[in-house]
Amino acid sequence: MSVFHDEVEIEDFEYDEETETYSYPCPCGDRFLITREDLENGEDVATCPSCSLIVRVIYDQEQFMCGEVVSAPTSKELVKC
Amino acid sequence: MEAARTLFAWGANSYGQLGLGHKEDVLLPQSLKDFSCKHQNIKSIAGGGGHSAVITGAGELFVCGQNKEGQLGLNHTEDVLCFTSCNALSSVCVIQVACGWDFTIILTGNGQVLSCGSNSFGQLGVPQTSGGCLIPQKIESLTEKVVDVAAGLRHALAATESGMVFQWGTGMASRANRASQGKMIPSFLTAKEPCKVTGLEDVKVKKVTASSYHSVSLTDEGELYVWGSNKHGQLVSKETFLVEPQKIDANFFSGEKIGAVWSGWTHVVAQTETGKVFTWGRADYGQLGRSAVVHDGQRQEVQRSSEQHLEQLSNVPVSVPCLAGASQIACGSEHNLAVVGGHCFSWGWNEHGMCGDGTEENVYAPKPIAALGSAKPFLIGCGAGHSMVLCQIPDPLLKFPSTPIRCHRPPSHVSLPQQSHPSG
Repeated sequence: MSVFHDEVEIEDFEYDEETETYSYPCPCGDRFLITREDLENGEDVATCPSCSLIVRVIYDQEQFMCGEVVSAPTSKELVKC
Repeated sequence: MEAARTLFAWGANSYGQLGLGHKEDVLLPQSLKDFSCKHQNIKSIAGGGGHSAVITGAGELFVCGQNKEGQLGLNHTEDVLCFTSCNALSSVCVIQVACGWDFTIILTGNGQVLSCGSNSFGQLGVPQTSGGCLIPQKIESLTEKVVDVAAGLRHALAATESGMVFQWGTGMASRANRASQGKMIPSFLTAKEPCKVTGLEDVKVKKVTASSYHSVSLTDEGELYVWGSNKHGQLVSKETFLVEPQKIDANFFSGEKIGAVWSGWTHVVAQTETGKVFTWGRADYGQLGRSAVVHDGQRQEVQRSSEQHLEQLSNVPVSVPCLAGASQIACGSEHNLAVVGGHCFSWGWNEHGMCGDGTEENVYAPKPIAALGSAKPFLIGCGAGHSMVLCQIPDPLLKFPSTPIRCHRPPSHVSLPQQSHPSG
């Protein structure tokens, strides 16, 4: 069974918009990585490409759910129509 | 010309931070022959997340390793595999360099502070620009002469001549806010430019260290003040986070004054004025070097049987007898180096060979780096996952300066810590 090096809140990760990847410093000098897609799929383990250490990402999966968000029309908008 | 003093480097090398001209991890000390020949007068060695820096006696700064954020100050963002002069500082005398995760803080002879690299968290202490800085630039708002600087994961510190401490970089802010549950937190925890650390008005600070999520100040009276995250007991407190500096009672150090302090990412090492070395904080990779968990075969058993007891102990400073009288200590993220009795010792996390014993097994009690043989350690420095030592090579060995001196066992004159200090 793997032991987490740490548990880290998603707000402490840095986000790279280009690669859609969250990263957090690993003690080896490299970075723990997890993609936005991983988070959307409920994955919560960020891995370091250079070593065996892993961290658990603490986040609210609902904020990373995929799919279109359809908002209901407000009453004000209805009046305008 | 053969090098009488040679710089050795080993450990994690993903970005060329060892200065060896490649990016492969190195499990045993390797000499930097060419650089050592040219620069015999190295005065200081430091490392960051993936970069390294040395200062010569003439105040020249040399850098290598990761440079994605411009942390090397070379006006580009390519990694550099061999130590290279930071030409932007050619007219400046550098007396101290502190390497953070992906930024660098530079102290000059006239007490001015410069910074370069990432500014994502305001860790450069300069008015916000669109991004980081590729060339060191002066932190204008630090008007008083600075005597000591430190750089952590995402924050930095400066101690001034009058004993004040300034902090900048928002690295600790999110943890402080979560711990404070909506209550106001001091502005120095959220500042992107130097902000005076409150709560130290009655003391004069002379040295500072910055860690992943905590800070340490050493006063001229030999007292330690700590603030930030206490997740691993590194602040010797019952709180999970200290938003203001809190003194560590001298009783933890047998009532002695502290003469020097160093910090890994989540552990702290302090030396008293009589030379005793205390460690506390995170212990799971051997960071604390306590010989209670020395014996390789029994270690697992010891941990299982008294895990809770060990956990409690790690929150309290405990003296490590084999390190007593150390002339130098350096901490990486989760490993350490020390010079004791003319030998370089290492302990802690070793997955990338940063302990220099040729293996990747963690080192739970400080042991001499046998591969350095009779080379006398002169200066040490650590990056997050790498190690560096400047050694004086004994005359008879000068004809083999480029070969790391490999021994399978420590030389006979080296006393192993567990032998000389069985009480642990």
